[in-house]
Amino acid sequence: MIGRILDALAGRVASADAVIKTDDTLSVSISPEGDTRVSEARSHQSHLRVARQGRIGFASATGDESSELVGRAMASAASGEELELFLPAPAPLPNVVTRAPQSAAADAAVLTGLARALRDRLVRSHRRVEVWAERSSGGVQVANTRAVLAGYAVTLSGVGAVVESIGAESAPPCRVHYAAVDLPTLADLEALVAEVDRRLEPAVLSGAGRLSGLPVCFTPRALVTFLRPVRAALTGYEALLGRSPLRGRLGEPVLDERLTLVDDPLIPGRPGSRPVDDDGVVSRRVSLVERGRLIGFASDLMVGSRAGVPSTGHAWRLPHAAPRVGLTNLLVEAGTHSPEALLAELGRGVLIEDLDWGAGTNPVSGTIVLRAPWAYLVEGGAVRGRLEGVVLSGNVFEALRRVRAIGSDATWLGASCLPALAVEGLEMVTSYQ
Amino acid sequence: MKARILDALGRSRAEYAELRLRRVWSTTVLVRDRTVEVATGSAETGGAVRCCSPGTGWGMASFSGADRLDAPVLKAHELSLAGASRQPVTLAPIAVRQLESAAPLEDDPREVPLTEKRQRGESLAAAIFGSDRRIVSARVLCRDVVIETWLATSEGTWLHDLRSEVSVAALAVAEEGGNVERALGSLAARGGWRGANSAGRMVHGVATRAVEHLHAAPVRPGRYTVVLDPAAAGVLVHRAISHLARPALPGTDPDVLPMGTRIGPECLSVGDDPTAEGLRASIVCDDEGTVARRTPIVQNGVVVGHLHNRETAASSGQAPTGHARAGALRGAPHPRASNTYVAQGTGSFEDLIRGIGTGLYLMDTLSARAEGDQIGLRAGSARLIRDGRLADQVKGVQIGAGLLSLLGRVDAVGADFGWNAAGEVCRDGSAGVVPVTTGAPHVRLVDVPVGEGFS
Repeated sequence: MIGRILDALAGRVASADAVIKTDDTLSVSISPEGDTRVSEARSHQSHLRVARQGRIGFASATGDESSELVGRAMASAASGEELELFLPAPAPLPNVVTRAPQSAAADAAVLTGLARALRDRLVRSHRRVEVWAERSSGGVQVANTRAVLAGYAVTLSGVGAVVESIGAESAPPCRVHYAAVDLPTLADLEALVAEVDRRLEPAVLSGAGRLSGLPVCFTPRALVTFLRPVRAALTGYEALLGRSPLRGRLGEPVLDERLTLVDDPLIPGRPGSRPVDDDGVVSRRVSLVERGRLIGFASDLMVGSRAGVPSTGHAWRLPHAAPRVGLTNLLVEAGTHSPEALLAELGRGVLIEDLDWGAGTNPVSGTIVLRAPWAYLVEGGAVRGRLEGVVLSGNVFEALRRVRAIGSDATWLGASCLPALAVEGLEMVTSYQ
Repeated sequence: MKARILDALGRSRAEYAELRLRRVWSTTVLVRDRTVEVATGSAETGGAVRCCSPGTGWGMASFSGADRLDAPVLKAHELSLAGASRQPVTLAPIAVRQLESAAPLEDDPREVPLTEKRQRGESLAAAIFGSDRRIVSARVLCRDVVIETWLATSEGTWLHDLRSEVSVAALAVAEEGGNVERALGSLAARGGWRGANSAGRMVHGVATRAVEHLHAAPVRPGRYTVVLDPAAAGVLVHRAISHLARPALPGTDPDVLPMGTRIGPECLSVGDDPTAEGLRASIVCDDEGTVARRTPIVQNGVVVGHLHNRETAASSGQAPTGHARAGALRGAPHPRASNTYVAQGTGSFEDLIRGIGTGLYLMDTLSARAEGDQIGLRAGSARLIRDGRLADQVKGVQIGAGLLSLLGRVDAVGADFGWNAAGEVCRDGSAGVVPVTTGAPHVRLVDVPVGEGFS
């Protein structure tokens, strides 16, 4: 089918590329009352981009709209951006694990078993537990008018839970989840259970005293949210042409010298793993920050063309959206501190297990005002209790220049592999109380 | 199409089955600074089949395209057998309706050439830059969408609806002496292409606010008497009340405001009206085929109603209110707000600010976020109130408090009710995104905790 789409354009455009993505997602959820619901979602998305008379146009469609796709892309090119687009030529693809047979074969009974296994481990008195399990199975095909024709099969499986302490004042829902190409193992479920217990068990602390100026330690889950401005600053238009605070600073030290950030689509079996990007560019490992020094940005063909740099293979085509640049699997190099040593290093400080990303925070400049509903006071290397209403403010980039310690416990959370990280220079108040 | 849908539905072996099919045409033009980055159109067809039978849970199968509608019908039944429900799924009875409201659209955005849409985006971006020399960056997103929906149920309900909507969103960034400020704005209207003709005024306002923020002083944190403009009041009430006035969705907060609870003063009445004329979320029947109706939620400060779909209505012994809305092309319908309003009170804006020694006037919102029983609201812009008059502009204003304690601080509601023309949406976890409208007059609250946030 992808060949037919490109054949229909022969002689009418300077160049073109197309992506077809299919997906079959099966989901099981179990309510706190024990009711099980099962649903299946199938989708088929086609994306087409054309270059015609120096302008770029693109369109997307589902299922039986593919026949209209060409006409829409041509109309889009008539009004599109003036841009030279250099499509890649065919090249050997690296071998990357993107599919797990047992994940692809998982049916409602398997997923229900996983969800129940998680639920049974999480249930305690005074808890309200809702769980879900999901697997998706599909494929990606990429082709262009320079004879690229690549494809790979994909699976993604996940489990998650929302746990609430009944009767606990102001305790927000505790949300945890796990996702990877293969089905979660028992150890993965146990890790989620341990995290929930760790977050829910400490009692609420009243009268914690002044928090301002204390060091902050982010667990890997909290760090996923905290690093969002870093992802934005290293990616796409903002990084190369926009208002990223890192723009124009290649080769300079921008973060603490102990920080190394890498994007790696070749790691087997993770949500961002893939042999080729949605522009048809072969995937490769990209160093972003090495020992605090800025090494590279992520780009795709269009942003690369605008900025005059090559694509790094970070193109994503999403349903009914313009092509965009995004990281694949982000890894932050682990440090040397065990979890115990990290807490001891804090002295008196705050441990943050999860963060609430709010609209209005500036994802580009790194200026943040974030609620930290899962924050804990640490004294003498031990958690003293949970803090309510903590609001964290400051600048992400400045905090990442003031790293106090990095954990040795790098953990996969979706497409990120992150250690715990202790930093200084953030302000904390409890203004919501 | 009707014959194909009914034929597929007729193959279901479930006691209850519903098939919803949607076709969505959309156009997007994105202008960044003075460059058109995106000018594209798309079409998507898809839907969902849900079914249940005695002793089974819901089974749902969603799909792309409309080629083989019988496959998801059979799959949904198969999945319902894999589910389990302690209580049988019970749906509150509704009158079976057959409704055709798919007359050709006036001013159909699909008939407007993409070049004309591109020109609108470019001229709006140029207008932002032309407003002031201190504007250094602009972004304009113009969208239009046409949605055709078919819904059939095994009970005999048949709906066919065609509607369109246009929207414009704008961002302006101003810079002076190293100080960088930004402002956002949007408008959205049900109807045809000309529905966004007033976007020029909106983008001018966005540019003006970005420049004004350059010289605004940061707000001093503390407790203030706060007057919310209709836009901010509507957003606050949508987040604070409508989310707590319907049974919990999967993965969301389970708290529901109990009937009879006093949550505010006599002057506060709130409701949700999906029948309000001409608004983006207005409907005749919801995504389960229930006739929508205006639903009072809070009357004189006391909770009097909830928003329901058929299942939640049956489980609580109430009548469905017509608030079942699917948040995605292939999503299940859940109880969601549509057009949430604060009922009109008495007095003018001047009456509300008269007598305030030091206070704040909050206009529009950058964000409103509720988690658990807490809500945080960031103002789009704000001015001090001093001795009963509007005074200097301040920036970085955010109010944060317990939901119910905040509503308890309402002490006056104005008479100047209006629906907000902004392109508001409601995001709700796995339930997806639905367009909403809020409406309110000016509302005054006393002793509100105000902090300094990012503007």
